[in-house]
Amino acid sequence: MRRPITGNIRSLTLTLAALFLITSVGVTYWTIFESAALASDPFNPRLIAAQDRPRGAIVDRAGAVLAASERGANGYVRSYKDRTLAQVIGYASSQFGLAGIEAAYADSLIGQDPADPVGIWKSRYLGEHSAAGGVVLTIDEKIQKAAADALGNRKGAIIALDPRTGAILASVSVPSYDPNPLADPSKQQAAMQQLQQDASRPLINRATQGSYAPGSTFKVVTGAAALESGFDATKKLRVDDPYQADKSWGDYFVRSSSHAHGLYDMSDGFRLSENIYFAQVGLQIGAAKLSDYARRFGVGAAPKLDLPAARGQLSDDGSIDRPTLLADTSYGQGQLLVSPLQMALIYATIANSGVMPTPHYTAEVRDADGRVVRSIAPGPVGQVISANTAKTLTTMLVGAVAGPGAFAFGAKIPGVNVAGKTGTAENRPGEAPHGWFIGFAPAEAPTVVVAVIVENTPDGGVTAAPLGGQVMRTALGK
Amino acid sequence: MVRTQALQLRRGRFTELSLLFWVAALAITGFLAVVAAETSAFGVSAIVVPVVFLALMASLHLFLVARRFRGDQILMPMAAGLTAIGLVLVQRLASDLLVQQLSWTVIAAGAFAATILIPRDLTALARFKWTWALLGLLLLIAPLLPVIGREINGARIWVKVGPGSIEPWEAVKLLLVVFFAAYLEEYREVLAQTQRRIGPFAVPPVPYLIPIVAMWLIAMLVMVFEKDLGATLLFFGIFLAMLYLATGELFYVLIGMVLLFAGGLLAYSVFPHVQTRVDIWLRPFADDLRFGTSYQLVQGLYALGNGGLFGAGLGNGMPERIPVVWSDFVFDAFAEETGLAGAIALLATYLLFVYRGMLIAVRAPTPFLQLLAGGLSFIVALQTLVIVGGNARLIPLTGITLPFVAYGGSSLVTNWMLVALLMRVSEVSSRMRGSP
Repeated sequence: MRRPITGNIRSLTLTLAALFLITSVGVTYWTIFESAALASDPFNPRLIAAQDRPRGAIVDRAGAVLAASERGANGYVRSYKDRTLAQVIGYASSQFGLAGIEAAYADSLIGQDPADPVGIWKSRYLGEHSAAGGVVLTIDEKIQKAAADALGNRKGAIIALDPRTGAILASVSVPSYDPNPLADPSKQQAAMQQLQQDASRPLINRATQGSYAPGSTFKVVTGAAALESGFDATKKLRVDDPYQADKSWGDYFVRSSSHAHGLYDMSDGFRLSENIYFAQVGLQIGAAKLSDYARRFGVGAAPKLDLPAARGQLSDDGSIDRPTLLADTSYGQGQLLVSPLQMALIYATIANSGVMPTPHYTAEVRDADGRVVRSIAPGPVGQVISANTAKTLTTMLVGAVAGPGAFAFGAKIPGVNVAGKTGTAENRPGEAPHGWFIGFAPAEAPTVVVAVIVENTPDGGVTAAPLGGQVMRTALGK
Repeated sequence: MVRTQALQLRRGRFTELSLLFWVAALAITGFLAVVAAETSAFGVSAIVVPVVFLALMASLHLFLVARRFRGDQILMPMAAGLTAIGLVLVQRLASDLLVQQLSWTVIAAGAFAATILIPRDLTALARFKWTWALLGLLLLIAPLLPVIGREINGARIWVKVGPGSIEPWEAVKLLLVVFFAAYLEEYREVLAQTQRRIGPFAVPPVPYLIPIVAMWLIAMLVMVFEKDLGATLLFFGIFLAMLYLATGELFYVLIGMVLLFAGGLLAYSVFPHVQTRVDIWLRPFADDLRFGTSYQLVQGLYALGNGGLFGAGLGNGMPERIPVVWSDFVFDAFAEETGLAGAIALLATYLLFVYRGMLIAVRAPTPFLQLLAGGLSFIVALQTLVIVGGNARLIPLTGITLPFVAYGGSSLVTNWMLVALLMRVSEVSSRMRGSP
């Protein structure tokens, strides 16, 4: 007889024991090491717990309730009060998980804020759930309503923030939707299907996730780069429509929207939004300088935010490698893409003496008794341009609103100096351009920055400017 | 004097009895915990089910004592404990199926008792090996037959019987092990005679590879026509393991693994359902899968993650969010509510069961009985590893049941028959050692 079976049984048993050990390690990985990551996954139904226990309330900065769990016949039902904030507050759906603030502060809203490790421990290991706390947003319902009314049912977005702190005061994205059916188990399936199939993409928060060409609103970046490179803003440049730097451009020309011929300095360039002026400035300072400042202002990187935000881009491949692209980028076209939030942050930097604030939707997390568990006040991103450059740009932007023949006249507020800039983002041929306005007030000590984009509007920035004016007026209490 | 005492003790089966008291404690506390945690009304079933179950286990014990059965005393309480966990989890996760599962437990106990009695002579099984093989093959293809076959959840492994369905595959497992044990006992000498060596491996002559290729072909056919990856893996795994036990030749295992892998690759490139399984395994959290095909696995992983060290407590987790949790994901549900501690304890119980079975195999007097006990123990090990590995995303998920614990009648009945067979093997050994 050859090798006895007994020995084979022993080897097989040892192999099986080793496999059991590996399996135990695998189970340990999920139950212990991945536990925290899985617990905060926005689609984890354990975070929703909507029907068994109430989720915490989401309120605006003054305490007005925006989302709350209300007792119904079959347990708790989440109820959302302001559909203009649908994409910001998000939803808590038992089938589709969480989105928006409901996702970002999921743990806080079921009484397990990371600032309260004992509560988390008790809930996880002892099954003692602490009562859900609440989340206070930086949103101001008054300004939010003004922004929503201003935009009406025009497709687009408005975002308003405090340039000193980065606190977002209003955030509107149209089209919006009613989140209530998503929190209702009997309606969520049909509601989500309809929203996902909607070609106008109502689930997207256009204010933070939309990507648009910035058009002329981007000229402040070119201006800032030029000013900080020693470019003389008072020097007059010759503008003759159509423009090309040399014959190598072939049949490519930069066009002036007003078919301009004449001498322009930088304030004229801002006031009359002269593309040919800024194309020449860009060509003079060079691609490296312009790219550098675009990057410093946050183009191409998602802003740090408590909600998903788009990155935008300087160009398709991230660099400016030819003079025509440099010229086009200098006045905000070319291949540039930005979100309204990114543009608001660029203007907030100018308003805030060159320091870029960190945007945030949330002010604080409170426990069930109303005590503050955690204050959310992120420090500034950093100094992007000098205070002097910021001041010079502000003066020119005031001129772009109030100066003779200024494009952004619609944003004027009686008795207040408003700084701002319109933009018209050209689209594919045959599609109406997007209209921009970005501004801040009061120019001497800004407390509010507003970015407005109206999609596919024939008049471009002229349509957008008065909407920005309305929002700023409400924010300033005028 | 001392000798007669020892004999009386052996007759009493005290080890089994004392272990069954632990099972009683487990069943009663388990049911009470689930009932206490549930918000629903206190049901009669919470009292009736553990009482009926414990009475059943007590009568099995008394039956063995009355028969003066001298086999192993540890396997039965272990199987009883696992079955108790299974009943507690059915009450927790799908209480409307509880009565049905309890009825199946009664049938399983009957099948256990019957297997203890029949056949009189265990080694006689070997004589009818080709009958078992034929019967096994018939049962294997039964689900493919037009009138009685049924496809449930994409796998065609069911046969309609009266109002319900059974999985003939469960019985096939046992028949296969009996057949392999008998076949390999007869041919192991031949299969192990090798002429050439390549490196550390002994290479047998080509004709000896025919059985392995034949088995592989059958396994592939199961995969193609019954769309059941789990059955394929088990079928071929049992064959390879027993071939190794019989011959000790790693070369066969190697060839088998290569064939299995090649078959898997082929299936992956041809069959969408195999691609889906692999896709789910590789990227369950991808946005296009997590609400669709990988929803079940992702919910299972959430449950594991919620387990932590000591779990949420029976009745306090949310494992009911996992679709078909009571049959496919019962391990994750158990781990969520009893934590890593409970999960490791459960795995350790299975390992102990396997170890005990392998010990019986080592002590068995004939190659047939050794292979039989080894193969039966291997079934429990492989099933546990494959389903827990699938639940914990170590390997692609397959529809294999967690022995004794997962909801399902066919599986419970055959597993209890498996326990009876192992105990019978140990009885043969102890009788040969004990008395002349």
